[in-house]
Amino acid sequence: MAAAGPSVFLLMVNGQVESAQFPEFDDLYCKYCFVYGQDWAPTAGLEEGISQITSKSQDARRALVWNFPIDVTFKSTNPYGWPQIVLSVYGPDVFGNDVARGYGVVHLPFSPGRHKRTIPMFVPESTSKLQQFTSWFMGRRPEYTDPRVLAQGEGREVTRVRSQGFVTLVFNVVTKDVRKLGYDAGPLDTQGVLGPGPPQGLPR
Amino acid sequence: MAEVHVIGQITGATGFSESSLFCKWGVHTGAAWKLLSGVREGQTQVDTPQIGDMAYWSHPIDLHFATKGLQGWPRLHLQVWSQDSFGRCQLAGYGFCHVPSSPGTHQLDCPTWRPLGSWREQLARAFVGGGPQLLHGDAIYSGADRYRLHTAAGGTVHLELGLLLRHFDRYGVEC
Repeated sequence: MAAAGPSVFLLMVNGQVESAQFPEFDDLYCKYCFVYGQDWAPTAGLEEGISQITSKSQDARRALVWNFPIDVTFKSTNPYGWPQIVLSVYGPDVFGNDVARGYGVVHLPFSPGRHKRTIPMFVPESTSKLQQFTSWFMGRRPEYTDPRVLAQGEGREVTRVRSQGFVTLVFNVVTKDVRKLGYDAGPLDTQGVLGPGPPQGLPR
Repeated sequence: MAEVHVIGQITGATGFSESSLFCKWGVHTGAAWKLLSGVREGQTQVDTPQIGDMAYWSHPIDLHFATKGLQGWPRLHLQVWSQDSFGRCQLAGYGFCHVPSSPGTHQLDCPTWRPLGSWREQLARAFVGGGPQLLHGDAIYSGADRYRLHTAAGGTVHLELGLLLRHFDRYGVEC
């Protein structure tokens, strides 16, 4: 009797939220969470996290470093709904209120190996100038009630955003039984550096 | 049946003269393809970049196709529009690119074009805005009636698409 093939594959991702580049802002912390489809379930590791507050270094790099670990394992029967990591960065405004400084989203890589991704961070923006002034003054900026909405495409057509920074993430990906189930994920790509980089002049 | 997963995002766009851009996208496939999960079309957010000139959308794309044949490989067609502070939208460019056919992650740069009109229409576009648009979106991805158009280049749309293929080797297809 032939052994039944696997019906479930595993995706193990570890890595870190390495650093950020926000030229105009300082004293930032970030939160991450994973959004995935119905066929996916996390089996180990943390699905959410909040980092420390970091300030820009005094040297010429003006670097914002979190070095915040990510470690999660998912199991699934279907690549549809591949997990995405949603990052939210917050910091104080001039009055001391905690405001959103950027949201970003990216799919977890699916080929095994080491991947570095630099993702853009954007905040929602009010349409009217008066509302922009009032929200600056009162400290209540527009923000997403649930950042998970960024992982879907629907409903984004009505939002206006302003992109104002970048966050660099590093992932190490290990998969199990993806090939046994018949999927071809392409060449194994180690030390892959993908994703749009920040424009020239900003530190990588 | 062989299956194809397209998982990635429309990252953003560069090279357009306007800022505050958004993109309407859609996927067109041949008759042998069936969309099992995912949305076939959508519209991104409107982004006004503060750093540099690249507008970032980070719009996720997650499509699951089943196919009986290779013809009609999926094509992504894009329309980039700019929105000004009054909420008026103006066409910035049309573009299309085929979904890559080899598995793995790909960085794609899709060039765009916009229809030029007569000199009167070009002058009006410079002062008042507007400008000619295509009546039927299929001219973006098909070559059929293109010879009628006179166009100018727009900017470039950047995409990062990952492709997972399933059971293609069972049918002897090499990609």
